[in-house]
Amino acid sequence: MGSPLGGWPSYNPHNFSQLVPADPSAQPSNVTPATYIATHRTDPPPNQVITTEPRNILLRHFYQKSEEKLRPKRAAPDNLAPENNNKQPRGTVADVGSQSNARS
Amino acid sequence: MVRFFRSGNLASRVFDRQLFSSRPGAAVRFLVLPLSLPLLLVRFLSCLVGSCGGCVENGQSVAGFLPWSGGSTALVWRGLDLVVYRPIWLTYSCNEECDSHALPPKAKKFDSFFKQLYSIPLASSNEYICKDFFLYMECHQFGLFATSTAQSNDSTATEGAIHGVPSIEKITFYLVRLEDGVILDEKAFCNDFINLAHSIGAYLYEDLLCIVSLRYQIIHILQIRDSGNLVEVRRIGAFCQEDDELFLHSHVQTGYGGSFLPGIKQRLLSYIFRKTWNEVPDQTLRVQHLKKKFYFHFQDYVDLIIWKVQFLDRRHLFIKFGSVDGGVSRSTDQNLAFFAVYNMETTDIVSLYQNSSEELYSLFEQFYDHFHANPQDSSRGKFISSHSNDVHALDQLRTIKNKASSSSQFVKKMMVSLPYTCQSQSPSPYFDLSLFRYDEKLISAIDRHRHCTEHPIKFISVRPPNVVKFKIKPGLDSGASDSRAKRISSFLFHPSFPLALSIQQTYMQPTVINIHFRR
Repeated sequence: MGSPLGGWPSYNPHNFSQLVPADPSAQPSNVTPATYIATHRTDPPPNQVITTEPRNILLRHFYQKSEEKLRPKRAAPDNLAPENNNKQPRGTVADVGSQSNARS
Repeated sequence: MVRFFRSGNLASRVFDRQLFSSRPGAAVRFLVLPLSLPLLLVRFLSCLVGSCGGCVENGQSVAGFLPWSGGSTALVWRGLDLVVYRPIWLTYSCNEECDSHALPPKAKKFDSFFKQLYSIPLASSNEYICKDFFLYMECHQFGLFATSTAQSNDSTATEGAIHGVPSIEKITFYLVRLEDGVILDEKAFCNDFINLAHSIGAYLYEDLLCIVSLRYQIIHILQIRDSGNLVEVRRIGAFCQEDDELFLHSHVQTGYGGSFLPGIKQRLLSYIFRKTWNEVPDQTLRVQHLKKKFYFHFQDYVDLIIWKVQFLDRRHLFIKFGSVDGGVSRSTDQNLAFFAVYNMETTDIVSLYQNSSEELYSLFEQFYDHFHANPQDSSRGKFISSHSNDVHALDQLRTIKNKASSSSQFVKKMMVSLPYTCQSQSPSPYFDLSLFRYDEKLISAIDRHRHCTEHPIKFISVRPPNVVKFKIKPGLDSGASDSRAKRISSFLFHPSFPLALSIQQTYMQPTVINIHFRR
């Protein structure tokens, strides 16, 4: 039919026989839009099973907040004054916070 | 999500519905109701049922109504009996144009609106039926009722009982199959106290029922079987795990002077201890912090009692702890209270909040629907409009919060509604805050007694034009009533039909019941 709607199924194809393009001079564009092609594998892991989390969102929040409170905070290191020209070995990201607390 | 449709044309609304999605579960109602209400101009008429104060034909008086169970029955107490009615529609014929015609005299009779299905005796002679206790189990159409003997205020100290909590000689719960009125099972509690007003002391979640014994500080978890039997599955209080009692008796040496704290209290204290311990990482400061925050208040924590409990899901309970003097009354005083989330299977307290906690308030604001979520109760839970699912209600709440003088007082006031009271909110679309605006002090989805007003209660449409859609007049239709007498009114709305009852009680005067329906 050449309509921009393509050959989609309809009850009565003649319903669209009166369809007139708004701009008669416009040609249907032959340029296909660019598609995205992933550079990595997008397949899901082979044994993945997606299920609904049994705990509702309210309970998840309760658990999450209480885990934050009950997680033991890292204690400040005993050696508060650095001995050798303020250089200390760089620890993990979690350690950086406590070390900066110790220094200040 | 578009909240309003562009035109009143039914066909265009159906097409719009394909493009715009509405709230899950409310799709059907949302489509049909806004169409029917503006187009047919809902007009509520009130008609007095029995000018002798709500008398039905036998001369016995209607003591009260209970919320609609599944929309098909209305329950009435008549003395010691439970009478179940089915709502029928008033039908009449007239020669002239019916709209302008006044209602026929039979519209003033209760029987024109309700048809009696059966009557069963529940309470025996020295007991009375608790008029505002009713829980409904939708899947099997079971109803839970309660009868009790008179409350005795002299609470003699018996072992395990809390001082200051009154005692009732016998409280009996009845499980009734509402289809035919057969009493399937009953469970009695003797010399105990359970808060039966407005079903506060019990909570139904799927087939689990929890009953809070305030006097003995025990949470009874019962399961309602398909056969209709009530089976006790857990008893949380003195002991948490099933074998705690056995373990303690077999391991504790005889002659040990002290006594153990109740299991639930021990869990509470250990949670507070661990939380306080983890607050300070430094070893030297930790002990000082514990002394100040935990040991100094130790006795206050030990003296806390369980007030109210609800299910959050099949494994978790949401428990309110407070001081003894605030436990029995339903006053909204601002005493200290704690909310705990308790996991019944691990018997751990998952989290604990004070009633002024901003963190708990933010969860209340965002996820209030999950406090009354009940997956089985689909016809009810989905249609309750709250500030968590409705932007108008959230706006109202935030306005009140901004106007409040003290943030912590505001939070405490909001926390009074937690734990949620089972089946306390009506799912009627007339209370949907995205459809109507109404004065919540005079009428609301929560079934509660309110002071009666002289003026009719207006329901204003939320969508433009904001016109009054209909009014409900709870009082007497004719004549001037004695304005000095204190009148209390309560409302019962049918969950799906445009039918409502307003019950008005005046001290030392007969009860007046009005039936409101759409013509």
